[in-house]
Amino acid sequence: MTSWKYALSALGAALVLAGCGGGGGGDQTTKASFTGFVNFGDSLSDVGTYKVGTIAALKGGQYTINSDTALNWTAVVAKAYALPAPCAAQTGLDGLATQGFSVPVTNVATCFSYAQGGARVTLQPGPGNKLLGGGNAVLGQLTVPVKDQMLAHLTKVGGAYTGKELVTVLAGGNDLFIQSGSIAPTIGALVASGQTPAAAQNAAVTDAVTAMGQAGAELAGYVKALVLAKGAKSVVVVNVPNVSKTPYALSQDAAAQGLVDLMTTTFNDQLKAGLAGTGVVLVDAYNESSEQARNPGPYGLTNVKDRACGTNALGGAALVCNASNVVAGDVSRYQYADDVHPTPYGYELLAKFVLSEMLKAGLL
Amino acid sequence: MKTTHITIAVALLAAASSTWAQKAGSISVEAGITQLSPQVSSGDLSAPSFPNVKADVSSATGISGALSYMVTDSIAVNVPLGLGFKHSITGAARAQGFGKLAEVSVLPMTVLGQYRFGDASAQFRPYVGAGLTYAKFYKETGSAALTALTNPGGTPTTFSVGSKIAPTVQVGVLLNIGEKWYVNAHYAKTFLTIKATYSTNQTQEIKLNPNAFSVGVGYKF
Repeated sequence: MTSWKYALSALGAALVLAGCGGGGGGDQTTKASFTGFVNFGDSLSDVGTYKVGTIAALKGGQYTINSDTALNWTAVVAKAYALPAPCAAQTGLDGLATQGFSVPVTNVATCFSYAQGGARVTLQPGPGNKLLGGGNAVLGQLTVPVKDQMLAHLTKVGGAYTGKELVTVLAGGNDLFIQSGSIAPTIGALVASGQTPAAAQNAAVTDAVTAMGQAGAELAGYVKALVLAKGAKSVVVVNVPNVSKTPYALSQDAAAQGLVDLMTTTFNDQLKAGLAGTGVVLVDAYNESSEQARNPGPYGLTNVKDRACGTNALGGAALVCNASNVVAGDVSRYQYADDVHPTPYGYELLAKFVLSEMLKAGLL
Repeated sequence: MKTTHITIAVALLAAASSTWAQKAGSISVEAGITQLSPQVSSGDLSAPSFPNVKADVSSATGISGALSYMVTDSIAVNVPLGLGFKHSITGAARAQGFGKLAEVSVLPMTVLGQYRFGDASAQFRPYVGAGLTYAKFYKETGSAALTALTNPGGTPTTFSVGSKIAPTVQVGVLLNIGEKWYVNAHYAKTFLTIKATYSTNQTQEIKLNPNAFSVGVGYKF
């Protein structure tokens, strides 16, 4: 009756197998790996261009709730690929020396995060640049436009990418703020020149929206001509999140919010059209941030409307926001640090979304 | 479960026998192949997560066996045996396109009571069965993608699936070939909902309700 013994030993083997542990995190090797990480953009990707002088002394430097562990989304993506933390390719400030905002501009040869707070796609000046006067002249952000950031990188690396870098691009928000700010002065000028207020309003709004479309198209053009055509193979472009749901827009009336939204979508549409068929991973942060605003619960967000940062030396700006000057209560799951910039948690959500899109594109 | 198995083993040994039809007291051993096909209805991955992140669980096929003991000419106790089934877990709904995120193995241990129609010596014996399955989950294994989506840049995300007892129903048919050999084909349905718990403190309930399709060749003692 040896068959019994076989049957019983099979039974025994099954029970033994069931006892096996195994498992765990599994293979953590990402499908794609990169030898470098290059970032272009604005404050949303800035890892410390202005972390100098008084900004550094105030324990600020990134546009979030600053801390030693607070990561920008680009830094989270770098960690996910086991890349070194991105560092600012240029540092310095061009503001008031008396307040510690005049620090010589330094280019860092070994750093490739060109993103700067206030940077626009093509044009100077961006928000915080001293050319705009007033408070801008106090701080004196450099606001080197994305086009020039890309050119600076090409100069640094001898004119070409190796093809093994991961390149991220996120810009357009500052074009929106500048264009929004230009509407009232344009109306004033047109009315002064004899137009009716209604006609002046129409013309000014049309100008602003058109300029946003142009900036979106230009950004796509730079990605193609200055990144892809120069040999970059893994390029992630993040569109402008839904600015109309930020505290910046929520503090304005419905018409203004509608205009902000129109400017954003016009930019994003042109960006998308310009990048069609290029193989770039275009991340629809607009749609994702809209979803976060509409349905914050699953994301673990507890507040998607208010600023986590309280009063600080720069009027509540995230650039010098840290745990010592946030509002009372638990802000760890707030979406927004200040008017437009995410908390570290908000950045982590953006990073996860970018990674999920990279996963779908076969890059993770 | 061990006790049950031992009881059956004792029954098997006790049945020293000259019986060769499926009569009361007869014992049979069977080997074949089983496909385990979960009919997945996934809950959402709990916060913090993208909304509507669901899971799909692949089918798995493996070598299987069974032991049967005829209590009467019509009533059998049946113990299917498998060596474990390895399933892939992929993203679904919002996570569609994320591809394979994890793996889990399951060892289902089932005890069924069967009612077999027809005479003990009939060539063709359809049957129905009902019983309990203990689904033992093991080797829960994550991936770079799972980590990137749940804890990017952090500690690799692990998870565990709680083992569970679930009801199983079965229909099948035996085709006797000669006095000792037979072919058995059956379908079983287990009503099983599992809960995955991730190292990121997230959870997900997944209704598996697997269909099991088996064919095998048996030998009667």
